[in-house]
Amino acid sequence: MTSLNRRVAVCAIGVALAVTATACSSSKKGGGNSNQSGSASNSGTGALNTTKGGTLYYLTKRPVEHWDPQRTYIGRDLADASRLFYRTLTQLKPDNTLVPDLATDTGKASDGNKTWTFTLKSGPKWQDGSPVTCADIKYGVSRTFAVNTITGGPNYAIQFLDIPSKPDGSSQYEGPYTKKGQALYDKAVTCSGSTITFHLKKPVGDFNYAVSGALSAFAPFKASQDKAAQSNYQIFSDGPYMLQGTWQEGKGGTFVRNPQYDASTDTPGIRLALPDKIVWTEGLTDETIFDRLLKDQGTDQFAVTDRSAPPAYQVRVAAEKSRVTNPDTPFVDYLLPNFKKLTNPLVRQALAVAVDKTSWITAYGGPALAKPANSIILPTVTGYKDFGNVFGAPDSGDPAKAKALLQQAGVPTPYPIHFTYNGGTPTTDAEASSMKQAWEKAGFKVTLEGLTDTYYDVIQNPSNNQKYDVTWAGWGADWPNASTVVPPLFDSRVNLSTSSNGQDYGWYASNTTNSAIDAAYNEQDTSKRNAMWGDLSETLAKDVAYIPLDIEKFLRLHGSKVTNYGENAASNGYPAIGQIGVSG
Amino acid sequence: MAAPLGQIELDADAAESVEGPQVVEKAVAGRSPAQIAWRRLRHDTVSMIALVMCILFALLAIAAPFMASAKILQPYTFHNNLIGGLGSMPTGGWGGIGWSHWFGVEPQTGRDVFSRVVLGVSFSLLIATTATLLSVLIGGTLGIISGYMGRSTDFWISRFMDLILCFPQTLMLLALSPVLKQRITDLGVPAGTPTSAVYLILVLGFFSGPYFGRIMRGQVLSLRNREFVEAARSLGASRRRIWVRELLPNLWAPLIVFASLTLPLNVSAEAALSFLGVGLQAPTPSLGNILFNSVNFYSADPAFFYLPGITLVLIVLSFNLLGDGLRDALDPKSTR
Repeated sequence: MTSLNRRVAVCAIGVALAVTATACSSSKKGGGNSNQSGSASNSGTGALNTTKGGTLYYLTKRPVEHWDPQRTYIGRDLADASRLFYRTLTQLKPDNTLVPDLATDTGKASDGNKTWTFTLKSGPKWQDGSPVTCADIKYGVSRTFAVNTITGGPNYAIQFLDIPSKPDGSSQYEGPYTKKGQALYDKAVTCSGSTITFHLKKPVGDFNYAVSGALSAFAPFKASQDKAAQSNYQIFSDGPYMLQGTWQEGKGGTFVRNPQYDASTDTPGIRLALPDKIVWTEGLTDETIFDRLLKDQGTDQFAVTDRSAPPAYQVRVAAEKSRVTNPDTPFVDYLLPNFKKLTNPLVRQALAVAVDKTSWITAYGGPALAKPANSIILPTVTGYKDFGNVFGAPDSGDPAKAKALLQQAGVPTPYPIHFTYNGGTPTTDAEASSMKQAWEKAGFKVTLEGLTDTYYDVIQNPSNNQKYDVTWAGWGADWPNASTVVPPLFDSRVNLSTSSNGQDYGWYASNTTNSAIDAAYNEQDTSKRNAMWGDLSETLAKDVAYIPLDIEKFLRLHGSKVTNYGENAASNGYPAIGQIGVSG
Repeated sequence: MAAPLGQIELDADAAESVEGPQVVEKAVAGRSPAQIAWRRLRHDTVSMIALVMCILFALLAIAAPFMASAKILQPYTFHNNLIGGLGSMPTGGWGGIGWSHWFGVEPQTGRDVFSRVVLGVSFSLLIATTATLLSVLIGGTLGIISGYMGRSTDFWISRFMDLILCFPQTLMLLALSPVLKQRITDLGVPAGTPTSAVYLILVLGFFSGPYFGRIMRGQVLSLRNREFVEAARSLGASRRRIWVRELLPNLWAPLIVFASLTLPLNVSAEAALSFLGVGLQAPTPSLGNILFNSVNFYSADPAFFYLPGITLVLIVLSFNLLGDGLRDALDPKSTR
């Protein structure tokens, strides 16, 4: 690892316009550490040790950008906030099942999934002792509409709530600070006693997941505590921990127990809240973190990290058998053929068939650090369909078949391909070089272009739509349902505009797909709807709207006196801070 | 006309044998400045070793692309069978060094390190040499004009050179790279490696030009009022003739010294820029991006780190020593 580091799990913010669906996209930049995790690889074995007390240390590199619940959109921060200090209407258990949190149940849908009602528990309190009310939730959700102040967070509230849009696509409601269009919002979100009702524009069958701790955008916010943009690092807790003093940006902070938190109001098993104190230190280098964890001395024995071991440390880290963990990230790496250039389906198929995932993974660091993917949807996400390789090609590719497909396509060979990837690191360069070699075996002539910081800006820019043939991207679901994968990536209506291609980096536009997406949203039956997402992911793979590559894994170490250590689906593959304790 | 050659040699031999006793006297009288310098250089052992090394590296750099197209060097071929385990490290000892892979194989890809280093030397030297020539051209032109013209021309050119020298060079190079590279691509240079190479050559050449310009200006200032220039001027020679025919031949010494000292500087600058991510695009090897990669493995695969590193050090060292030696030989009065 060097000074340049992979921008970890950056959640792409929908490009300016509120209509754009957004979700987490991963971005590569610097050696083999990155991302979040999806699969339930809970390394904590045996019965849970529920001894309370002690101090847990959290060592990390990337500073928290927002602790404001409506602005957080980073997997690690969401996983921590939902377990430590922000409660939401519903919550995900470690295995991703939905359970009630602030609400008494997981929500009631009516009007064909267009109206959702939640009733609040009476017990939960803020850290100042006041109860968490329906008005607090309504206020919290309204903050997302202040798009100029509350930036960075997901915009599902704007997409889903039944509030009309202006001609430019932005909402007619402009948030609680200007109160423009407040009447429209008051109609869409209503409070009656402790019951909150959300009226939606379109049927959203998994709305109760959207309001869960997977995203904290639907978390309550006490209006009297709101200092707008100044609230970015303010933590006003209704969970088991609260911030001691203030948050030091780039350094961290200390969390202590919140005396107003009553575990009896909580669903058992989500927040064990074992340590008395959690000390968060950010801004360390990966090398420092792993040097300290390898030495395992002093307070580092009680330390965990969200970082993945840099290449130079991997062998030594893997040798610490009792302390090493190797969970999946929640991202699928995939390639996108440019539909503005590669209009011949046979050429796209040849590209997909020739792809050598084995070499790609070897270049990334071998099978211990990544595994091949066949779908854009992670296996742990509801709606995943296991269809194998849609073209029956092996993981290492089938250059002969690809060559035949190219000949069948009747194009002159070698067929030129301009492949753009998020470069600037030896690992991504090695990965791209392996792809070049695989494609050239199949009769393509590949030009590589590794872009650095501005990668997504460049591939989203319509002026480049005749430049690149293939681009790279990574994507993780916002909550564990394929509805946060297929529509945000392949619905051309929400993505393509004159200023950007949104997250549809391959300019894919198909009316058939768009109507299939509408049909899935309108399907009332949950299991049928989930199956429809799965079918769509297969159709899209056959159309080569995407070429799945791999699911990367973390390689992580924790201190020897950390108990109940685990990383699970609900914690996005980061340390499951809701269950971790310390001994001694 | 091949025949006269032998004749001349014979004549020379004959002349020498005839005029044997006067050889010493004649030699003193007949040596050109270049011969004197060469004689001095030849007695400097270190410089001679450096010269031999430089020639070897240059030959290797010229031969490398041909060896690659003849498949003697295989810098882009993956050997997944030679790597494995966590981090895809070479399975053979010492980074996979063996008869078929002299410098071992690269972790993660299994590419032959020797091939990549040799081709990397080739690309690095090509960029460094072209950039050096560009800076000599820019600096030489500006320096001669500035020094000869004097007055306001001198003032403006000198201020311009000062301005360029004021830039925080490395920072500008990094900050400008996305914009300038896009411009270069828009001008018709293929994207990827060619664009990056042109970018490196332009910025390295442009930013080191003024250093040379200042040296040249100083030299020209001391030459412009010498008799031979005055004579040419009074005979009505054009300015261009004076610059090219009268001044330039007297500026060879600083030019050669500057070039030989700038070349290794550019080799290391190219490496540094590649290290910072604005160098050549993968999979094209350069010493910089090989090192950038290998640093990650300094503990896990030391051979992969040290061999390319030592190669870079040897190149920079030999060119630097040669440059030093040349300076001493051309201008023995200068102090170190």
